Amino acid sequence: MEKIKAPTGEELLTGYLPNGLHYGILLKPGFVKKYAVLAVKYGSLDSKFELPGEGVVEVPDGIAHFLEHKLFEEPEGNVFDRFAQLGASVNAFTSYTQTAYLFSTVDHLPAALRELARFVTYPYLTYENVEKEKGIIIQELLMYEDHPDRRLHKNLLNALYHVNPVRIDVGGTPESVSQITVDWLLKCYRAFYQPANMALFVAGDVEPQQVLEAVQGELPNDPPQPVGNRIYPEEPAHINEEWIEDRLSISRPRCALGFKSEPISDGRESLRRYLAMNIAIRLIAARSSPYYERLYDSGLVDDSFGASFSSTPFYSYCMVTSQTDDPYRFVEEIKGIARDVQREAICEADVERLKRQLYGSYIAAFDSLEYTANSYITHFFNGTPYFEYLSILQGLTAKDVQEAAARHLDLEKCAVSVLWPTEGPGRGQG
Amino acid sequence: MDFTHCSLGAGVRLHLCETDKFNTITCKMFVQQNLAPDTAAATALIPALLKRGSMKFPSTRQIARELEYLHAASFSADALKIGERQLLEIYFDMIDPSLLPDGEENWKRGLATLWDIAFHPFIEGSGFRQEYFDQEKLNLRREVEGLINDKRSYALVRAAAVMCGDEPYGVYRYGSVPAIDALENAAEYRYYQELMATRPLDIFIVGKNLDLVANEIARLELPRQGVETLAPPVVRQAAEERWHVEEVPAQQTVLVLGYRTGVRYLDPGYYGLVVANGILGGFPHSKLFMNVRERSSLAYYVSSFVDGTKGVLMVNAGVSAAKVEEAVRIIKEQVDALQQGQITPEELEQTKVGLCSSIASMADDPGSVIDRNLAGLVNGEMRSFDDVLGAIKSVTAADVQAAAKTLQLDTVYVLKGSLEKE
Repeated sequence: MEKIKAPTGEELLTGYLPNGLHYGILLKPGFVKKYAVLAVKYGSLDSKFELPGEGVVEVPDGIAHFLEHKLFEEPEGNVFDRFAQLGASVNAFTSYTQTAYLFSTVDHLPAALRELARFVTYPYLTYENVEKEKGIIIQELLMYEDHPDRRLHKNLLNALYHVNPVRIDVGGTPESVSQITVDWLLKCYRAFYQPANMALFVAGDVEPQQVLEAVQGELPNDPPQPVGNRIYPEEPAHINEEWIEDRLSISRPRCALGFKSEPISDGRESLRRYLAMNIAIRLIAARSSPYYERLYDSGLVDDSFGASFSSTPFYSYCMVTSQTDDPYRFVEEIKGIARDVQREAICEADVERLKRQLYGSYIAAFDSLEYTANSYITHFFNGTPYFEYLSILQGLTAKDVQEAAARHLDLEKCAVSVLWPTEGPGRGQG
Repeated sequence: MDFTHCSLGAGVRLHLCETDKFNTITCKMFVQQNLAPDTAAATALIPALLKRGSMKFPSTRQIARELEYLHAASFSADALKIGERQLLEIYFDMIDPSLLPDGEENWKRGLATLWDIAFHPFIEGSGFRQEYFDQEKLNLRREVEGLINDKRSYALVRAAAVMCGDEPYGVYRYGSVPAIDALENAAEYRYYQELMATRPLDIFIVGKNLDLVANEIARLELPRQGVETLAPPVVRQAAEERWHVEEVPAQQTVLVLGYRTGVRYLDPGYYGLVVANGILGGFPHSKLFMNVRERSSLAYYVSSFVDGTKGVLMVNAGVSAAKVEEAVRIIKEQVDALQQGQITPEELEQTKVGLCSSIASMADDPGSVIDRNLAGLVNGEMRSFDDVLGAIKSVTAADVQAAAKTLQLDTVYVLKGSLEKE
């Protein structure tokens, strides 16, 4: 077990159990709530993989998310009840790269941890309960269809990527979900739900030894098993489509520009680039930016204007988005700004000020058990060194920011997604 | 994690929660106003105008640069609705000084910045800078028009408007488009001055070494002139059950059932109602979730909430258009079951434990430590963590049934999605 001191003074303990499970425990004296996440490095991207002895398996999209739903079911009823009896509230989410099961509780932490480890370890799948779940999941997918930002984003990913499974919604499609069977679910479960492919993070005023004993008693204790070997399609460097449009019942058009870039495999470099890009996107789209001020004052954008940089070992892109009455002009403006940021010298004082901001945000984030736990696990799965965050940040210069911007705001690899309002009730195309 | 209270003059109170748990110092100010159709838009525009600039930082950009320099201090403002009050909320937080190399300078400068933004907005002539006023008026109008973008929130706002058409509760917290269009700059500035000078103002702070902060605040100037008395909420019985259906081009249908209850925050039966709502639709183990989602697969989400200031309970579900009637029937059955006292000891216990742990957990988040007092603030009786936890623990099945019996269905609102594929 390794003991690390967080920059806020709190202690963080990390290590591995003999079965290969990685853990992190953040001690938060005085906190009432305890928060735990047990995450599997298995997400919606992993729909094709090789299993030792079985060859290549390709499953319907949305299966990781489907499994997440199903693990909550047990022969003797439903997991929610047992957590509720402990006063704990349990939930889960699936992303492109992970499936996470989590709970928060005030009392009975060891009992709740045992429940968590147990329901994740024992899937209970029958023909009937799998069929029943399809209705619920399809309702969930339809709900997302009506969500403007999700639609805009999904379309953008379709424009940026040719074959990368990031194109497909985490939950799959109503068609792919209908095809899911018990056999496929079990195959995926066995391929990825191995302690060595999982991580546990617990935060709160807790006894570390108690935490470890509780999960050790429930998770399989065999030595680490082989995990399904993911097969990703070869994604070309160039974009798929330059412009993609759609309609939805919204009040004002929305527009997103995406800049595709090569994912970075080295963890430290990836974090460095991530921080540099976080400064770059603030120079473009934070309220302190002169560009923000000009576009906002001219009425082209409103306060939905923003930018983000997503970076995992499997894909990397930057997105700039806003509601706007004139998506064409918005696209031209953003392309011009992206060119500016790469060409004109970035002011050292601006970079220093934004470093102060990122420093403060990093420290403040330790007050959120949920945020700290999820960000620790994401960094762990992506192989980026979470605890070098501040030292890497301190070392950044205006030149680093400019280089990162040049690499990750490549105008040759820029795609646009526009969402227009349907003209009026009843006449929309959806 | 409770507050000590002191007065800073007419209608101004300072509430302090001293704790070393957090890495930040968090401050929220609330100015209360009656929720009313003719002033809601004017109140709602103030947060947007404050964000545009102060006398010292005359643009959003300058405010933002100052906040970044202050090691990620954050400032925001909004208009909230609690019962039939509208609250102007001003939020500010900064890093605990002991965690910063220049902590002492940072917090004093932060506090002065907050004061400048809240009490000295950027004024030219007799009003806000005209460009700022015009833009924010347009943006607020777009915000209100944009409510339709989120079908669930839209449905809840429309359901309240339909159900309480001639009561203040039917007014949206950001006002209406015609009311926004009618706003005028000089009058808006006078309205802002009047609010800050005469409506109840409450300042909450959570963090470490607050005696220093309190001393500093006592030295800062407040533009006050007495305090205005605000109106109590309108309480009404439900009439006949009414259905209201609106159609929008969407994949999914949103259903809202609005119930009235005579039980309110200051009534002895209030925590019975809170637990009743929990058993009905507050949790994944609740009757609605178990019966509408788990047993019938009719919805992805279904839940209920109570506004104890007004005395209403709203049920909300996302369903398929073809299943609206079936869902309404099952929802009504669940309310009936509660009214007939069909409450298992497990349901009661799980709900009480669930409510208590979510309330106790609020002590871990500075914003929630403050927000949990809002109902108390508006109703004139703030309650400590221990009092609320004790009141919930002592609720019996009979209390729950008694509270449930007061529920009368008033309005069924259906936002029908017309694009659904069968």
